[in-house]
Amino acid sequence: MMRKLANLILLLVAVAFCYGLQISKPHYGDLIGPIPVRGKVGDTIVGRSFEVRAEKLEFARKLETDRFGETKVLTTGGVWAVVTVAFAARAESTSVAVASWRGPTGLTYDHTERLSFVNNGFLPVTVDPGLPRKARLVFEVSPAEAGNATVLISNKLLAALDSQAEISIGPVAVLSDGFPVGTVDTLDLSQPIDGQPK
Amino acid sequence: MTAQSVVQDNGLGERKWRRRSLWGLLVLIPLTLAVEAYDSVKALLGDNDLFERSVAWGQSAHFGGSDWRLTDLRGAFGMKSLPPDSVPVLADFSVTVGDPDLQKLWLGCKVMLIDAEGRRWSPTSIVSLRTPDNVQTCISAIFSGAKTGETLNLRETFLVPKAATKTIRPAVGLGSERPHFLLFQLEKD
Amino acid sequence: MLEGARSRLKAWIVTGIGTAAAIAVAGVLGAFEAGHAQVPVLARAGPIETGQWLLQPVKAYVSAEKYVYGTLRKPGTKALVFEVDMTNRTAQSTKDYFDLVQATRPPLDPATKPYIVLTRDSTLSPELHPGMTERMAYVWELPEGGAVPASLGLTVMSKIYKQRDNLYGLPGWFNPSPVGTLTIPVAPDTGGQP
Repeated sequence: MMRKLANLILLLVAVAFCYGLQISKPHYGDLIGPIPVRGKVGDTIVGRSFEVRAEKLEFARKLETDRFGETKVLTTGGVWAVVTVAFAARAESTSVAVASWRGPTGLTYDHTERLSFVNNGFLPVTVDPGLPRKARLVFEVSPAEAGNATVLISNKLLAALDSQAEISIGPVAVLSDGFPVGTVDTLDLSQPIDGQPK
Repeated sequence: MTAQSVVQDNGLGERKWRRRSLWGLLVLIPLTLAVEAYDSVKALLGDNDLFERSVAWGQSAHFGGSDWRLTDLRGAFGMKSLPPDSVPVLADFSVTVGDPDLQKLWLGCKVMLIDAEGRRWSPTSIVSLRTPDNVQTCISAIFSGAKTGETLNLRETFLVPKAATKTIRPAVGLGSERPHFLLFQLEKD
Repeated sequence: MLEGARSRLKAWIVTGIGTAAAIAVAGVLGAFEAGHAQVPVLARAGPIETGQWLLQPVKAYVSAEKYVYGTLRKPGTKALVFEVDMTNRTAQSTKDYFDLVQATRPPLDPATKPYIVLTRDSTLSPELHPGMTERMAYVWELPEGGAVPASLGLTVMSKIYKQRDNLYGLPGWFNPSPVGTLTIPVAPDTGGQP
């Protein structure tokens, strides 16, 4: 009788132990996910193959840029967030192709695809060792997700087991119309980035 | 034979086999690990340029079925609208095709510059200089349909900081030869 | 020997009866009828919810303009345009809208793929961002000489969310199935974009 009871308890313990193992085990998606490297605006964030430093954050209702010699104006249903960043390569030439804007509630806005006709100063950016380059990251976001956001930057999509820079954007003061303080009406992206020849 | 003796026989045999099995595990587990890891290790090595094979100035080296020779490495000074303190560098190779199956042997062709610190530069797209018609890049040469005995002129353009130009050496990696790559020495070495 | 054969036979019979019972129960529960269910007819006024999208149909029309939302019309064709306000209901930017609506009746074939344009600035199939409504145009090609259909029949498709797919263990939207059918009157070509 005692022996039977002991066996039963042992079985229950084994079941509980196995269940514990199962629920505490990280999922495959977590195991092969990107490896975050965190920092603030102004920090140099050092990843495996690239370094990045966010220098400036601007908000705009409209963007203006050149397309085949014509001025093109890009409107949005939300607000444009433009982050000027400096990239540097580490030991090897590399290219940085993917960025997204994660709002405070977790909504994730990928880098805009509406500027794909401009090929200089935007993603994808190739950087060579010893030759840092600046670029603008352009996101189309909802004004409610503008403050306390995180900018995620990686070499490529599905950066499995590779570094992903996570730059936290601090709180952003908001006007009565919901737009961030300092939102300009039109931001001219055809202007060269400070300190970098076009 | 009584029932008793059968059981005892089995007991002896069992003990013997258990011991053999345990010893067997000592061999089998490392063997399994090796077999399982073989493909991964091969893929990892085959994907990276790890071990250099040095080529003296003026010499040619047999690599990926063809004979490679560095003919020139020079800076293109005086170009405007480049990042400060940077120099475009041109590397010229002359390759005599041996095995013409370039699409297989030259797959993943990568020409690079390596400096004394081990930093590596890939060809740039920022600078585009005009090249003569008979000059190709490594990638375009793969699809050129070159035959055995033909000589290809390859040129790659790099953008390098001025400070690094003193110690850079050109290198070539091919998918069929990885993890080995060619590292070309210059005349002054 | 004979004993073994008899028990094997018994096992076969038991398994057979079990399987038949399982199939019968599944049949009673309606496992085989899902495929034949009639898809509902959706109200043209909208809004229509699919897993990832909120749709508000706007209009459908035929255009023979040289450029339809920035894309050069192919010679010998005219464009059948369906405009719809789309809101991404997910937490992530996506362009998973290529099979969202499918044409159901002639002259369009369900297999003909439209191209999809952001009407705001004619960008071809950009990602749409969470919660930001955009007007999109689905553009099909019609033969230039053919009659203009009086209405456009569409099937609206939806997908289901899986937190972990079976292959990579990553979240995603899978298993498209129809939400319903939609009929939109087609405005005739007025010589310009309405």
